[in-house]
Amino acid sequence: MSLVQKRTELSKWYLPAIFQGLGWTFVKMVKNLANKKQMITLNYPEQKHEYSPRFKGNHVLTVKKDGSIRCTACMLCATNCPAECITIKAAEHEDPTVEKFPISYEIDMLRCVFCGFCEEACPVDAIRMGPEWQRPAVNGANFVYDLKELAYRPSLKGGIVSVVDETDRHKAGI
Amino acid sequence: MPESNNTAAPATEPKMLKMTINGKEVEVKEGTSIIEAYSQHGMSIAHYCWHPGLSVAGVCRLCMVEIEGNPRLQIACNTAVTDGMKVNNESEKVKDAVKWGLDFHLINHPLDCPICDQAGECGLQDQYMAYGKYTPEMAEKKVKKHKVVDLGPRVVLDSERCILCSRCVRFTDEVSKTNELGIFNRGDRAEIGTFEGKPLDNNYSLNTVDICPVGALTSKDFRFRQRVWFLKEHNSICTGCSTGCNTRVFYNKEGLFRIKPRYNKDINGYWMTDTGRDAYKFVNKEARLLDARVVSNGRGEWIAPKLAARKAGEALKGAGKSVALVVTGQYMNEEYEALLSYFKNEVGTDRVFHWINNPETFDSFDGLLARGDKNPNTKGLLAEMAKQGFTAQWRELAEGLQTGAIKTVVVAGPENQAVFPDLKAKIMELSKASKLVWLQAGKNDQLEALTGDVTLIPLKTYVEKTGTYVNYAGIAQKVHKGLTVVPNALSLVEVVALMKGEELPADDTYNQVGLGRVHNEFTMVRGTL
Repeated sequence: MSLVQKRTELSKWYLPAIFQGLGWTFVKMVKNLANKKQMITLNYPEQKHEYSPRFKGNHVLTVKKDGSIRCTACMLCATNCPAECITIKAAEHEDPTVEKFPISYEIDMLRCVFCGFCEEACPVDAIRMGPEWQRPAVNGANFVYDLKELAYRPSLKGGIVSVVDETDRHKAGI
Repeated sequence: MPESNNTAAPATEPKMLKMTINGKEVEVKEGTSIIEAYSQHGMSIAHYCWHPGLSVAGVCRLCMVEIEGNPRLQIACNTAVTDGMKVNNESEKVKDAVKWGLDFHLINHPLDCPICDQAGECGLQDQYMAYGKYTPEMAEKKVKKHKVVDLGPRVVLDSERCILCSRCVRFTDEVSKTNELGIFNRGDRAEIGTFEGKPLDNNYSLNTVDICPVGALTSKDFRFRQRVWFLKEHNSICTGCSTGCNTRVFYNKEGLFRIKPRYNKDINGYWMTDTGRDAYKFVNKEARLLDARVVSNGRGEWIAPKLAARKAGEALKGAGKSVALVVTGQYMNEEYEALLSYFKNEVGTDRVFHWINNPETFDSFDGLLARGDKNPNTKGLLAEMAKQGFTAQWRELAEGLQTGAIKTVVVAGPENQAVFPDLKAKIMELSKASKLVWLQAGKNDQLEALTGDVTLIPLKTYVEKTGTYVNYAGIAQKVHKGLTVVPNALSLVEVVALMKGEELPADDTYNQVGLGRVHNEFTMVRGTL
């Protein structure tokens, strides 16, 4: 694609255009100072835009009422994941009523396409996609979130409780 | 003697019966049951408790068929075919019976498929999708039974998942003849279990896991390690002993995960041993020698196996009788042919020795499958040695090493090191030679710690190469290459070609098959910014 520029005699004198631009900036600045509420920009690192709870951002692993991890390591999310970014290692739990649990659960955030198939596949509401999404890191390895990060990061305040509760199901005779 | 032939023929040859299955006319032998007729002609029929290798129990009541002239439905597994019989399992009556039968099986089934290892290859899942009633009408609470019961060293039981088909009980009763398992209690409290102080501990116990149509019996070794749908299959031969059971190996890009038997009526039937199922462990990368190691002047370095083989070949050229070759029965016919003819014709030695790993129990046999000869191809090796005219005895090797007549020893070592109890002693004995070339797939700390003039060259294992094994009865079985675990490893044929100074054909060597997606090199170096 080529860009055709229309060169006139006036455009060879750069200063008029520069002053025109500076003038426009100045007018906007005065307007914004006069009416701060309608200013459309944010003071980014201090102020952040709030997304709706349905926004598909960083994953959250939910917990049971006692704070242990809800996931049963059934691998349906890893099976369903089109980006193959979920890696789970299952292990035998000491408690025979729990039986299987993930000893490691990693999501590669740079590989993830945030499609939400994992939370759709999950049979026990163990994985959800939360409203957070801005997480910087200094290198690629920091974008591989582990179990601690996914379930117990500070912003979750001790973990989000899953809606599927095993003891309730047992009482109901399932 | 034509008369005697004529009289003998009708007695031995079974009568053929004509029958109609779902409107299709077929012929079966006399004495066949209806369910066998179905499976012989590739037609599907719902069933759990029937297994072709076991006796008929008739407890699951799922293989219902409608027989013309018979007012009630009959079970196909326990009804013999008669001449002119017309059976049907596609009528509404049969479908209704199967549907309700399945629903009764599921009354106390916990439906914990997400944490069940059988999910993906479960008879209950498959048949429910095909014949199930999708709206259960059971309002009662499910009966709670024992979960995670330790049956023995290799098997775990979950009695809630069990549908009491009694296949495992019949297996220990009829095939292994050890009678460890039984059904205890009655009604909906009935459970599979072992007698007190008698765990399920025989060399065939994992076959019960294979034949369990649900996830009630699971293997401790495989438990929770992979979901079955992440694994690919490859047909292979068990190299655990000289029986040569037909197997399927299950693998993904991380390596092999388990081995299951494949039906072969001449060799293993439907079964295999538990020790043979461990034959995947030495194939995986953690247990393998990844590169060649060359030690000279007390300094060891890791180099490319091809280069190491070439260098070793230069030293062997025309070395004559100062070279000895030690061979184990763990390799394929094609490899023996290349190796032995190279030593006879190019190196020019007749000092070729057969390393027998366990001479005391070599000829033992447990009566079912396991043999004392723990090498897959002893027959093939002996045939090749006889063909090339090698008759040397082991004591000549010991004498030669003592007197210094043998300077270089080349060893085609064990692929499965676990079945070589004398490995340590043999390494000590053979490392007395002034130059040692050791060809082996697995890594071994003792070999890597050797000083002196030593070359270790990594070899391929049985799933990484194509060739023929000859079992104890002389049946030759071909296995095909399924996957590549160690890309640098060589087969003996390739080692010999490199020793001769030839180039390897480019097509096969670097062609990695079946290890899944090729890793993006940029994702591999991530984290080292």
